[in-house]
Amino acid sequence: MSARTQTETLPTPRRAASRSMRAEETLSKALGYSAIVFTVLIIGIPVFWLITGALKTNREIFSPNPQWLPSQVMFDNFTKAWEGAPFGRYYINSFITTILGAACEITMGITTAYALVFVRFPKRDWVFVLLLVALMVPEEVVIVPNYLTIANWHLVNTYAGIVLPGASIAFGTFLLRQYFRSLPPELIDAARVDGAGHMRTMLSIIVPIAAPAVATAGLLSVVAKWNDYLWPLIVTSTADMRTLPIGISWLLDQEGNTEWGVVMAATLFVVVPVVLVFLYAQRFLVSGIAAGAVKG
Amino acid sequence: MQNTARHPANSIRRLIKRDWREWLVFLAFAGPNVALFAIFTYTPLINNLLLSFSDWNMISADKNFVGLQNYVDIINDSQMGKVLLNTVLFTSSSVLLVLLLGLGGGLLLNQKLRGRNAARSILFTPNILSGAAIAIVWIYIFDPRFGLIYTVLKPLGIDSPKWLTDPNWALPAIVIVYVWKYLGYATVIYIAGLQAIPGDLYEAARVDGASAWMRFRHVTLPGLSPVMFFLILTSILSSFQSFDIINVMTKGGPVNATNTLIYRLYELGFINFAIGRAGVIGMVLFVMMFAVTLLQLRYLDRQVSYA
Amino acid sequence: MNKKVTRRDLLKGIGFGVGAIALAACAPAATTAPTAVQPTNAPAAAQPTTAPAAATGTTTVTYWGFSGALGKTEDDLVAKYHAKQTAVKIDRQVQGSYEETAQKLTAALAAKTAPDMVLLSDVWWFKFYRAKALLPMNDLAATAKIDSADFVESLWKEGVRQGNQYWIPFARSTPLFYYNADMFKAAGLPDRGPKTWTEFSEWAPKLVKMDGSTMKVAAFAGLAAASYSAWVFQCVNWAFGGSYSSPDLKITLLDPGTIDASQFYTDLVNKKQLASTPKDVQKDFTTGLTATALLSTGGLTGILKDAQFNVGTAFVPEEKAVGVCTGGSGLTILTGTAADKATAAANYIAYATGNEGGEFWSQNSGYMPVRKSTVSSATYQKFFADHPQAKTAVDQLPRTRPQDAARVFIPGGDQILGKGLDRIVVGKEDIKAVWTDIAAQLEKEAEPVRKDLATLGG
Repeated sequence: MSARTQTETLPTPRRAASRSMRAEETLSKALGYSAIVFTVLIIGIPVFWLITGALKTNREIFSPNPQWLPSQVMFDNFTKAWEGAPFGRYYINSFITTILGAACEITMGITTAYALVFVRFPKRDWVFVLLLVALMVPEEVVIVPNYLTIANWHLVNTYAGIVLPGASIAFGTFLLRQYFRSLPPELIDAARVDGAGHMRTMLSIIVPIAAPAVATAGLLSVVAKWNDYLWPLIVTSTADMRTLPIGISWLLDQEGNTEWGVVMAATLFVVVPVVLVFLYAQRFLVSGIAAGAVKG
Repeated sequence: MQNTARHPANSIRRLIKRDWREWLVFLAFAGPNVALFAIFTYTPLINNLLLSFSDWNMISADKNFVGLQNYVDIINDSQMGKVLLNTVLFTSSSVLLVLLLGLGGGLLLNQKLRGRNAARSILFTPNILSGAAIAIVWIYIFDPRFGLIYTVLKPLGIDSPKWLTDPNWALPAIVIVYVWKYLGYATVIYIAGLQAIPGDLYEAARVDGASAWMRFRHVTLPGLSPVMFFLILTSILSSFQSFDIINVMTKGGPVNATNTLIYRLYELGFINFAIGRAGVIGMVLFVMMFAVTLLQLRYLDRQVSYA
Repeated sequence: MNKKVTRRDLLKGIGFGVGAIALAACAPAATTAPTAVQPTNAPAAAQPTTAPAAATGTTTVTYWGFSGALGKTEDDLVAKYHAKQTAVKIDRQVQGSYEETAQKLTAALAAKTAPDMVLLSDVWWFKFYRAKALLPMNDLAATAKIDSADFVESLWKEGVRQGNQYWIPFARSTPLFYYNADMFKAAGLPDRGPKTWTEFSEWAPKLVKMDGSTMKVAAFAGLAAASYSAWVFQCVNWAFGGSYSSPDLKITLLDPGTIDASQFYTDLVNKKQLASTPKDVQKDFTTGLTATALLSTGGLTGILKDAQFNVGTAFVPEEKAVGVCTGGSGLTILTGTAADKATAAANYIAYATGNEGGEFWSQNSGYMPVRKSTVSSATYQKFFADHPQAKTAVDQLPRTRPQDAARVFIPGGDQILGKGLDRIVVGKEDIKAVWTDIAAQLEKEAEPVRKDLATLGG
């Protein structure tokens, strides 16, 4: 693995490099680019196949002599997919539930992780283990009891019903806790000496420094909510409350007559917004360098 | 929430008062999260434990206590050995691959290289794809008579395995798809971790004349260790519970070759509606994950270097 | 229904009241939460929640039906029904596949959010019958003028328990023998299906194409490794005189007929190398990777669309006996449904399975017409002229009989049997050993079924 050469350029050194370092960098870049090309090919070919599949007919997709590109570019599949289910409505529902759910998650993720690292509490580590326990309970175990709870609260087929059971967060809390713990403790001490309360320390010092981790946790929350299938399917019953991933499964046919090109087109409906979010979030993934530099 | 933390009861002594305030802040910060878990996760888990001692079928009014009968049934279930073996094989191989390849991807895509944003997006895209789309793309790729892998292997004179219908190849096939799907996830987290390592540490190491390997070993690895600990633990826990790829691609087959604990739980609970026995599997799965977590907290977390 | 109370008590007993209060105080989205911990004791009227307030004189029936292209066709059927009358409004909702619908119905029954009418597949409806969740429909059917005598007998009979109808045939299918007519011609075979499996064995070597040691084109595909293989194998099994079980749920996997049929099939794949076991049999057939296959009549539309060759259809081959099983799904009304809604639902069923609705539905969905008079109608005769392959499927209907109880009445029976076929054909395990093991598993799952049937009286 080329890992050892990669490390040199990790966070970019601010000062000018010596000549030998420049040579090292050139070599590392050459290796880097070839590795990128290789990775992109391995990971990207199935994705490419999916995208071109959205332009093909069933016959072309399952042809024993597969073609890389469709014989003729046709957008019928997109039209059919859009008409096959009320995707406009699904988009709205997905946006609402994803934003609500991810906002709940990220808020509680930050506060909980902050509390676990910086706020004194007896047996604090036990609370951490308790949160880890939440990662060990499969969705299949909780789904029916939670449906009964939500039905008792009369929240079946509502946004609140979709969002509530998944509003708490263990993954992100864990990630942020790890990140917070690796921050220099002097930083927090200084702020506390200045008389800043926990809320202010958290919002104006910890969160900006931890921006890459917060952005990562937020991104993963958004992806998880956006892709959630089983729970929204169970807790909603009418078409006007459904979310995008359910829309895809609506295109699958009980008797095996599914038009896969249409399914792939619909898959792109679901994927594209998240890829855009991802591209946008990248600026926060690197902004941490600048923030991190402040502390020196 | 902040207000309650700032105005504790006046009658408490100063030192204790300070602690009280801290405790209240802690409850306000962590309480809602834990409370939601209590309702939507811990309660169902305890409920699951209780159901594992019953003969309920989920809709009948008839629900009887049957003692350890379900546990005995699971022990006597001829498929359980295979299912446990599959679970361990699947989890260990997929976690190892995701962690190692993800580290490579993270280091690679953390460099200032042209096109890295696009490369990161491509790496991350499989993570967002729905199970149905993944299944159809990969069933095609694995097709032993005209799939992509067949096309690549043919000029080399190698016969493509019958991936999804051969009991020896089905589990590796599922692992490949899993790694493909979750590699981008690990990469993104590694990148976040790499951003936490102060650049001056590298500069200092260079000034001291440390080689690239030394810098990786003594700066990058320790710096990454908090995030790596997170990744190892969560990858293991989520791969134990990985259900959708198996469900859409193999349904646990052929000949139980890809039947794992989580899939067996689904079969028993949602197809056979034998809630008691599904509850037993749920508890077995939980205990396995809990044990792995405790071991890691005990041994691995000690190795982690926090600032 | 005291079941709900039990579960609530359970939740209450475990007691996370503190958590709920803390949640109500802090979680922004949880403003409606506090009602959660108050145990409402009255088993409130089991009313479906989703239906909007109906206009006077209109009864709204909440119905869970098909997804996908079939769902669209069903939407059209409902629209036709609405255009014809205004007394009944069908609020059609989609809960996913057959499996997902059944799983959701289970949860909804416990939470009392179940609909009035549900489409349930052959392997699911019985579970709800056992739980007394389905309404006996003889009286409703009589009021709504559903003419039971006009239904194809094997289809109608399948939903009758203790003389009462619980599951009315709607989207029914059967296995059908599909063949690639171009390949048959090239191999010098007649343009018809084989009469018996023995005849097929004689034809098969002419259809197989090998490339060295790899099979390029199989003579036949399926019956293992794919979903629903236990459904299709049922036909082969019956043809050889075997069965999965007797109607009273005695497991008969070790009877000579089942052993013979299993031996025949594993030989076809493993010893004679004439058949393949792909994941997606329909895809293999339409792409010309197998010359023949046993597939659902419901797949006909898609097969005709995707195949680039002449598709032939024929009766499922016989051997010692005729073996064709029924399949697909039917309509049920739930016990929690109010009387006026149940009547309205029955009226819709009368339309959907009647001549006008049934014709529209079966011609557009690809499912079998369920009534004899529909088949003999003038429009249907014209339809056959345009779709000769569909005629074979309909002509085969009188040869069908209801499925073995082990597959459809035992929860998960289909999967358990399918795994057994996998082990025999793909895993090449000993037939008797496998079926002994599978029989034991089925016996285990059959216990609660037998217990319920004893209290239900059959």
